[in-house]
Amino acid sequence: MASTACFVIVSKNDIPIYEAEVGSAPKKEDLSYHHQFILHAALDVVQDLAWTTNAMFLKSVDRFNDLVVFMLLHDSRSEDGIKSFFQEVHELYIKIFLNPLYLPGSRITSSHFDTKVRALARKYL
Amino acid sequence: MDPLRSYLGRLLLEEITPVVMVLSTPLAEAACLPVRTASEVPYRLQMFKIRMVYASDVRKEDCEVADEMIKPVVSEANEKALPDLLSDPPQVEDVLGKPEAELCPLWIKKFNRELMRTLSFSEHETFDHPVACLLVVSSMDKEPVNKFVDLFNTNQLPSLLNDGIMDPQILKHYLVLHDQQEGPQDIAVNVLAEMRSTLGLNDCKLLCINSSTEAGGSNADNSWLPYKALGLNNHDGSCFLSVDDLNEIKDFMQDFVSNHIIPYMEQKIRVLNQQVATTRKGFRNQIKNLWWRKRDDVPEASNGPMYTFTSIESQIRVLGDFAFMLRDYELALSNYRLLATDYKLDKAWKRFAGVQEMSGLCYFILDQSRKDAEYCMENAFSTYLRIGSSGQRNATRCGLWWAEMLKTRGQYREASNVYFRVSNEEPSLHSAVLLEQAACCYLLSNPPMLRKYGFHLILAGNSYYMSDQKQHAVRVYRNALFVYKQNPWSYINNHVHFNVGRWYGVLGILDLAIKHLLEVIACSHQSLTTQNMFLTDFFHYVQSMGKKFDVYKLQLPVFNMSSLKVIYEDHRTYASDADVGVSESTWQELEEELIPSSSIVRTNWLDTQPMRKYKDSCICVAGEAVKLNVELKNPLQIPVAVSGISLICKLSTTLDALSSDVSGLDLDGGEDKVNTEPSISMFETDGDKFTLSKLDIVLGGGESKRVQLDVTPKVEGILKLVGIRWTLSESVVGYQYFEFDAQKKIKKGKRGPRRSLNNSLVVIKGLPKLTGSIDRMPTNAFAGDLKLLTLNLRNHSEYAVKGIKMKLSSPRFLIPSDSSDIGLEFPDCLKRHMQSESSVVSSKTMMDNFKSLLFAFPQDIEIQAGAALSWPIWFHAATPGNVSLYISLYYEMGSSSDIKYRTLRMHFNLEVLPSLDVSFSISTSSSRLQEYIVRMDVMNKTPSESFVLHQLSCVGGKWAVSALPSCSSINSVETVSENQAVSYFFKIKDCEADSCKEAESGSCTSDMALCPGSSTDLFDIARSPLADFHSQERYRQGKVAKGPCSLLDFVLISKAVGNSSKPTPDFELLSHHTCHCSSLSQNPIWWLMEGPRTISHDFSKSYCEVNLQLVIHNSEAHKILVRVVTFDVMPEKSQTVHPHDSTSAQGGWYDVSLENDPVKTISSSKSTHQEKQSSKSISPYVWCSLSCAQIELQPDSCARVPLKVCIFAPGTYNFSNYELQWKVHPSEGRHVDENEKLLSRGGLGHPFYVTVLQSV
Repeated sequence: MASTACFVIVSKNDIPIYEAEVGSAPKKEDLSYHHQFILHAALDVVQDLAWTTNAMFLKSVDRFNDLVVFMLLHDSRSEDGIKSFFQEVHELYIKIFLNPLYLPGSRITSSHFDTKVRALARKYL
Repeated sequence: MDPLRSYLGRLLLEEITPVVMVLSTPLAEAACLPVRTASEVPYRLQMFKIRMVYASDVRKEDCEVADEMIKPVVSEANEKALPDLLSDPPQVEDVLGKPEAELCPLWIKKFNRELMRTLSFSEHETFDHPVACLLVVSSMDKEPVNKFVDLFNTNQLPSLLNDGIMDPQILKHYLVLHDQQEGPQDIAVNVLAEMRSTLGLNDCKLLCINSSTEAGGSNADNSWLPYKALGLNNHDGSCFLSVDDLNEIKDFMQDFVSNHIIPYMEQKIRVLNQQVATTRKGFRNQIKNLWWRKRDDVPEASNGPMYTFTSIESQIRVLGDFAFMLRDYELALSNYRLLATDYKLDKAWKRFAGVQEMSGLCYFILDQSRKDAEYCMENAFSTYLRIGSSGQRNATRCGLWWAEMLKTRGQYREASNVYFRVSNEEPSLHSAVLLEQAACCYLLSNPPMLRKYGFHLILAGNSYYMSDQKQHAVRVYRNALFVYKQNPWSYINNHVHFNVGRWYGVLGILDLAIKHLLEVIACSHQSLTTQNMFLTDFFHYVQSMGKKFDVYKLQLPVFNMSSLKVIYEDHRTYASDADVGVSESTWQELEEELIPSSSIVRTNWLDTQPMRKYKDSCICVAGEAVKLNVELKNPLQIPVAVSGISLICKLSTTLDALSSDVSGLDLDGGEDKVNTEPSISMFETDGDKFTLSKLDIVLGGGESKRVQLDVTPKVEGILKLVGIRWTLSESVVGYQYFEFDAQKKIKKGKRGPRRSLNNSLVVIKGLPKLTGSIDRMPTNAFAGDLKLLTLNLRNHSEYAVKGIKMKLSSPRFLIPSDSSDIGLEFPDCLKRHMQSESSVVSSKTMMDNFKSLLFAFPQDIEIQAGAALSWPIWFHAATPGNVSLYISLYYEMGSSSDIKYRTLRMHFNLEVLPSLDVSFSISTSSSRLQEYIVRMDVMNKTPSESFVLHQLSCVGGKWAVSALPSCSSINSVETVSENQAVSYFFKIKDCEADSCKEAESGSCTSDMALCPGSSTDLFDIARSPLADFHSQERYRQGKVAKGPCSLLDFVLISKAVGNSSKPTPDFELLSHHTCHCSSLSQNPIWWLMEGPRTISHDFSKSYCEVNLQLVIHNSEAHKILVRVVTFDVMPEKSQTVHPHDSTSAQGGWYDVSLENDPVKTISSSKSTHQEKQSSKSISPYVWCSLSCAQIELQPDSCARVPLKVCIFAPGTYNFSNYELQWKVHPSEGRHVDENEKLLSRGGLGHPFYVTVLQSV
């Protein structure tokens, strides 16, 4: 089944530091901005939620038509998979963050990170 | 807040009002156009309103028709929006500060109302059903009474009335309309009287209009004032209405409403309430009702059963609606609730939803339970949605009400959700308006959700665009711009700017269109097609502008300003641009001894003045180009043509600027220019002061190119580099100023000249300048390549230069030859000439520095203006690898000028490939002193080249090299082809030590030809280039040589032979220098017995004495203490190192023991004999002179120890009964302990056979 999933890591001031289309659906050019719009709009909700809960996993944050935003924009149903995906990616992100050459808040360009995230996406989503 | 005061409350009061159906004759219609518009007369005390509707309108409208009616509302607003589009887009602060009314323009409310009105007169709701019917007949009609009857004829009535959905038994009111313009009032009065008699007294009225005599009376405007607020305007038809008429109309309406409609409704409510109470209220009725309904499960239509106006359900609904209209909400609510259960049981979903909707509104107005209200609305909404298309518009209305309700309560976020849900059900135009409202709600929510606001505006914009409302689309996108301003979500930015730009373009506002499109044309992350689309649109609008225009900081192509590099030549000049890339420190190190130190530059203190003035700034020379290197990159995947790339420069020649602080002033000026005058035209006027280069390139997709831009100042002054200008695709001129960090500038102003990038240069008077190059300088060569190159210098200026000096970084590779080599033919100049003995030592002077080489041209050499100078220079590729060669040429000005000297810097990169790998191994000859056997291993490491070995030479006159006697013709292998390895064996001899007669005979020569016919043209390795290169090699290899004791150096000269496919173009000579070769022997010393081999002696007279000499040579670099011990007893097989005891001597014949002979030829019989012997071995000869001698050997020296042997009988003797013990005395500081054993060792004598014969 083709699924849509667009994964973005956003640092403060709404700056996206990592973007990846990890879904198995064929990539459509005109949809990429669509996804960005949805994710960007969902940040409003995240901003609210972040103050109300301690949990790192915010569950389903927002929805647009049939697309659900976890800050990962996707259309599949399995929340467990998504949760573990987030955990693993978070670990990866921390590794990147610990890199002394990485300037926090700058774009993640590591190809290793990219391949890892895509592998995780295939595994869990 | 009082719900009735809220917007929704007012809306409900206005919208849900009794409807009066108007039936009129055509004549009356013609006369009273204004009556219709004036129909909504407020019942002032309660703000009670009635609606008057033409009978023909009392029907359910088609969706399409309704949509057509709504469109003008939007389009009208469209026109208003246009001027707004030209202003700047709103900012965050503006938007947040705006009151709600401005955010949601009035036309949107109007739109909402129109949208709801499309639902009028639906069959399941009764508040649109007429309460009363007003029949109007003109006084000019004939037989007015009959007309009244005709009017209410059933076939003319709306279908809903006929279908039995509406109650046809409604209040009727008869009106005679009399136009004063048409005639006197009498006719009307007569008609009225007639009507009263037939139709009833109370229900008939006369209305006179158009009593005003003058058309368009001035007082007409005033009289309409009270109605203006209701949206009515004085228009053409009303021109004859006088104030009296209006008052009369008002009175009539008031009377009609208060005396007829309201009492009628009150009465009806009472009747219906009574009826409902008897049939449905109370426990018994409910049970009955349930039971009755359960039985009655007839197959139903999707909308439930048809309910006529007589059915109890309809009557309850009417009751509820009437109560609602008369504002008895409690009563209405109770009825609605009662009805809801019924409809639910009947599965009449549409009606159920309608009832739910109404009860939701009741809850809202009563302000009782918010939860209930919301629940009801939600329920109604979803029910409408569920029943499909027929309920869609109802769902919209319900949603609108719901959203208004939520907004009233401040639940903006929920409201926007509702709007969003509604928008999904509507065609694009409606959904656009709804989405815009949703966006507004997000903005109004607390805290404002700006991102959602932006997103929904974008969605709305898309819908507007789809429904062909471009103005609205642009307006909405523009409003969203600030949300996405400065944000790195690339796709969003591109989408917004591209669409805004494109739509502006469609609307014909080209400058704004281009401004927005400029933001997106440099999008590297988009796909090829998208980029193409962006670019095509951009150029399309640019072309439709019809003129070239300037864009500051055009993003296409991207100029990498950090790669900016200004190349200017002051006293340092460069042979090529690549040389500039070499770091300044490399050059400075090289030029250390070359250029005079700064104190020397100033000949006197007056002279320094002009120099000091320019100290802080860079200097360039008039007439010489200042080059600027910058990298430009095409971020797109589409090739882009960039033309006319040139610098923007300014040259000021005023003396003021010269004398004042140059850098500070000019930098300030430059910054101001950037901010205030973004125009570039002014810079083009300076054409007589300097010339600019223009460059046209095409950048492929994603390509980066370094370009070099030149400016050549023509006059003295201050040249300022301001920026770059270029033309994109012949239509857009981009320009960009160089930016200098203001903070840095201030700091630097204090500290002085540490400026890496300076945009202002002081132009000084023209100076002589040399250009130089080396002819045929190879970029790659084989190791060992030896070439004669030419250094060409040319003076382009009109002044002479003198005092030329040159410094080379690696004399191992390049050595300038002296003047005597000029005009010599290569390689003949290297050949040996008898008369060239004198030149051997000519180059000694420059050999003291091995790191770099300073070469002074002869003092009398001067390069005149326009002249050229060629100088031979030797090249030798010493080692394989990548080599950088630096040459710096120093010259002084012939005439006096600001700068005393200049340097020309040249830089070459060279790749040296491995060619022949030559190695030597030397072993001492065991039979002859000072003779060595040499094995030369040559391996061709090239993949395709063959080499002819030409000559092998030993350096220095000391050594003679010759072929081994057995193979005098060494020439069997002359060519070493690719990947071949060859070994040669030679004999070398120390001529000096030997000093024998062979030296004179001519066979002792240090050179040996290796190929036939080459013996005549041997190269002289003692002459200038080869000797020089050799001493360099010797120095280098000496550094890495392991052995401390070096014996000799070899030079192998070979020639390259072109293989069959590629003949060598010219003669290629290779010389390989192998230095510091030493013998392979293990022992630090070697020794040799010398003496006669055959002796004739008459034993009858006496025993024979033989005088021998033991030559001991120390090949170690240390002193060695050697002890020679002779012994007469044959040593044991398992001998110890010190068999000292030399016992008594005995004579007689003994077999010669071949024990120690390296060539073992012992037969089995002899070995048995030997065994017997070893038990009691006595040598057949006796050492007689000494038994033990000790000598100290200096490093690399020989010593001779005389020995004497007594022989008592003729025979052949082996004088090997001696032993050498030595001890190395290492020099100070050397670590000894580890190899103590090695250093202190011994060895037995070599066999030395002497045959003694009995002399006759």
